[in-house]
Amino acid sequence: MANQISVTRRDFLVGCSAAIAAMAGGRLGMAAFSDPETAANAEVLVVVFLRGGMDGLNLVPPIAGPDREFYEVARPTLKVPTTGPAAARELGSLGTVQLGLNSLAAPLYELYQERKLAIIHAAGLRHETRSHFDAMEFIELGTPGSKGSSTGWLTRHLQSAPNLPDTIITPAMMAGNATPTSLLASTEALAISGPDSFTFSGNWRYVDMQRSMLRRMYNGDSFLHQAGTQTLNSVDIIESTLPRDNNGRYTYAPANGAQYPDSSFSRNMQTVAQMIKLDLGLRVATVDLGGWDTHENQGSGDTTSTNAPFPARIDELARTLLAFYTDLSGAGNANYMRRVTVVVMSEFGRRLKENGNRGTDHGHGNVMLVLGGGVNGGLYGNWPGLDKAQKQLFQDEDLAITTDYRQVLSEILIRRMGNPNIATIFPGYSGYVPLGVVQGEDLQPIVPTYDYQSYLPHVVRGFPVTIAPYPEP
Amino acid sequence: MDQYPEEPSSRMSRRSLLVGAGTALAATAAASVLPAVPTASPTLAATPDELQLVALRQPIELTTQRRGTSPALPPIGVIAFNRMAYGPRTAQDVERMQAMDAAGFRAFVEEQLNPNEIADAELEQRIRAEGFRTLAKTLEQLWADHSVNGNTPPADFTGDSWSWRNLPAAEVEQLTFLRAVYSNRQLQEVLFDFWFNHFNVLANRNGSYAAMTLVSYERDALRQHLFGNFRAMLEAIATSPAMLEYLDNYINSAAGPNENYAREIFELHTLGAENYFGSGRQEGVPGYAEGAPIGYVDGDVYEATRAFTGWTVANGRDGRPNTGQFVIHEPWHDRFRKQVLGVILQPNQLPLQDGRMVMDLLAAHPGTARYIARKLCRRLISDSPPEGLVARVAGVFLAHKDAPDQLRRVYRAILLSPEFAQTWGAKIKRPFEVTVSAIRALRADFRPTGSFLSAYNQAGQQLFAWAPPTGYPDTRDYWSSTMPMLHRWRIINLLIEEGIRALRQNETSKFITVDIVAQTAARTPTAIVDEWIGRVLGRPMHADERAILIEFLAQGRNPNFELPAHLIRDFTPRMVALLLMSPDFNWR
Repeated sequence: MANQISVTRRDFLVGCSAAIAAMAGGRLGMAAFSDPETAANAEVLVVVFLRGGMDGLNLVPPIAGPDREFYEVARPTLKVPTTGPAAARELGSLGTVQLGLNSLAAPLYELYQERKLAIIHAAGLRHETRSHFDAMEFIELGTPGSKGSSTGWLTRHLQSAPNLPDTIITPAMMAGNATPTSLLASTEALAISGPDSFTFSGNWRYVDMQRSMLRRMYNGDSFLHQAGTQTLNSVDIIESTLPRDNNGRYTYAPANGAQYPDSSFSRNMQTVAQMIKLDLGLRVATVDLGGWDTHENQGSGDTTSTNAPFPARIDELARTLLAFYTDLSGAGNANYMRRVTVVVMSEFGRRLKENGNRGTDHGHGNVMLVLGGGVNGGLYGNWPGLDKAQKQLFQDEDLAITTDYRQVLSEILIRRMGNPNIATIFPGYSGYVPLGVVQGEDLQPIVPTYDYQSYLPHVVRGFPVTIAPYPEP
Repeated sequence: MDQYPEEPSSRMSRRSLLVGAGTALAATAAASVLPAVPTASPTLAATPDELQLVALRQPIELTTQRRGTSPALPPIGVIAFNRMAYGPRTAQDVERMQAMDAAGFRAFVEEQLNPNEIADAELEQRIRAEGFRTLAKTLEQLWADHSVNGNTPPADFTGDSWSWRNLPAAEVEQLTFLRAVYSNRQLQEVLFDFWFNHFNVLANRNGSYAAMTLVSYERDALRQHLFGNFRAMLEAIATSPAMLEYLDNYINSAAGPNENYAREIFELHTLGAENYFGSGRQEGVPGYAEGAPIGYVDGDVYEATRAFTGWTVANGRDGRPNTGQFVIHEPWHDRFRKQVLGVILQPNQLPLQDGRMVMDLLAAHPGTARYIARKLCRRLISDSPPEGLVARVAGVFLAHKDAPDQLRRVYRAILLSPEFAQTWGAKIKRPFEVTVSAIRALRADFRPTGSFLSAYNQAGQQLFAWAPPTGYPDTRDYWSSTMPMLHRWRIINLLIEEGIRALRQNETSKFITVDIVAQTAARTPTAIVDEWIGRVLGRPMHADERAILIEFLAQGRNPNFELPAHLIRDFTPRMVALLLMSPDFNWR
């Protein structure tokens, strides 16, 4: 790396645009950004949100013991079988219960056996709401019970991360069209549903000319000129670094024989993989997978048919995650996965008892998945039991929550991302202890001390109240 | 397993915002985009005085700064048309903007402060042409048609039940674009945008009360009071089904209190977080002993929660009728003694009396006056308006707190202040302003169709779709980040190219039709550029940027010779696109 050219976000701002434009012609690799050997500086967190309330009890069901009986009674048509070709794969015991993995998630079973997949059961949002909207807001704002925050938890992670150097140009991306609440008010996240969406659009005959004219116009030192230059640079870099086919369309060839299924979620994950491999300094990515609100005919997982919504989604999720893992698990510097952590979560689980339409209604506790090179695979959490008579269910009907989702995320933030500012990211959350889901150094969580807050950038509280008469014009 | 231990999360969540604010402060002060590290941030543990110092350290962009850093102060007409309006549209607008002197400005302010006296025939014609079917409905009709019968659209409705339920919100969204583009009552539209965001509700959620009744929220709760009295607006909002559901007061009862609305009426609607004293005792707030606490604590929020118990909607539940109207559900109301902002609410008052007294106290509080004044100045002048101006405007707010035209007086005080006329370039347009002012600058024939909205919504300011109760951010940091910057350019090319395509294909169904070439009188590149700069910007453009436009249009020819017709045809619209993408079009 003798000839490395150092480009920083600040350089972007102060307008070395010609240099960037020239460089962008070549490949902007780690040379310009950060050293791959300093893994702590290059950790990537991928947050996969399953929108609609994933049925964790059918992804990871009890397969033996008294809770299996409660489960079978509650789900006469939907239960995942324990025998036959579609039998749940045995995962082991969590406390008193034996748990299995839905056979449609078999691709994930490979990762589990390699101890690269951690499954946390009975986890979630410790709040009573069964509203999709409320639960997602609470989880993604990082403030259970309150929708007042104007920033998401990932936004606050990016704002407070102590190891996010100036050399990072694209620290966050959302793969998809909508900004997830977790990145609410982030000024640095790029929305990339595919590389095509992050382009300067217009009439092809004029658009290149317009762009070069814009670059010259936005060549000043006001905040607006700088913002324009930074934007043009980001577009240049993304366009110039992503491979294209002969027709000028972006292409992507997964590595290591990874086989992604054909779906928009899968394509979004491929875009994330691509961005990680480009070494642009990506730290946080969010990807959504919807379709989990299975109130009717959800499909039980005891068939290889993937027509029903739940089996189809499980199949898509599991195959994509395995492909993503494989794609990023090359040798040497191509082993990106050692610095990538994927967390999979949903707003809540589903009712233990199936409803009259062969579906399940909104429930409570759920499964969280964590996979990556730095993960200690296995089963985690405290199984609360499914015995209604023993008051083991939440409000007598749902899997209870014994692990706060913030406990899992906090551990990833501290041990993988190296950010101890837990009180900033999850205000009001206290008593964090690591579950041991991931490897890494335990930093002392930082609790800021202040007694004052505001939505507004420049305010003064409680100065003397004097209202002078004002001569109206 | 039924109950969770109470975590102080709702309170703590507000604290989190300091981190955001601290970062914003630090970033602004250091003129850097680096995320601040909380442990190193000077503002995290800062006292209010220190916060003030940080705020003062950053340059206050009151006067024209050195060339290249901030744009030069433009004539008053330009300031007026870009802050009190979404830019000039008609030739008369341009003429008025360019010729505006001090007297002309005062006349413009007075005219815009009295919108009902401004004729709006073109807008009314365009609204009629859209064939809206919910705008004339009363709240009760909206509720009956879109909530009670929301699953059964009438036979002549072509959409599904989903679109029928949410039709009121969809039509208000289109209406808002039409008004912003075509209304001559431009200040009213600017202020509607301000107050909607101040009293934000989320209307793009299927079947929400806001979606089903947005027509009434927009008309009866907001527009009714835009130039009127703040206290009256506050109660109209508090009793609207949209707000009652959005902030959960419709389920707030003595047996199951929900503090969401009570929290936000203090923190966002009236006193603002700047007057929040945390979780301390009510008696500990300065001024309490004199009967005039200068701020509020959690105790006030809890007591106000009790005051608003039973304020709900006749939604057919718990024995209430199903009319959509505001009702007080007396069995839910907590009738015992309460104390809010140092005042005792006696037990067994008439049920509405408690909540009304809370609103009286809030609307008359000096902290509310300052908070509202500051927010208005932030919208109309700059992100951090000078405290002297804020105090003066707050004085007007308080002095006329009972007047039926209180807010009109407040706006007048801001618009006629020296600060309004002497500042420029501390803010940039938000995506809505970029889009609307570009359509106006093009004098385009525009309809807010579904395909337009789906393209516009990419820009990050979809109307009525901001989920948190804060409303869209109103500071330049947020809107000058990468994605909003890219989209402010994309939307311009979209408008121009669609306008060209609609002309060429002679289509009338497109959302925009504009003949830029026919609107251009000049024939040489220099003259064409200057013609468009004059009518769009109303002032000279930065010389370097003007030269770029001329170079683009001339395509290597002498810019002072007549340009061949095919080059005029092909390059003039794209030159205009560049002009609308330029920094000078984005300042405000």
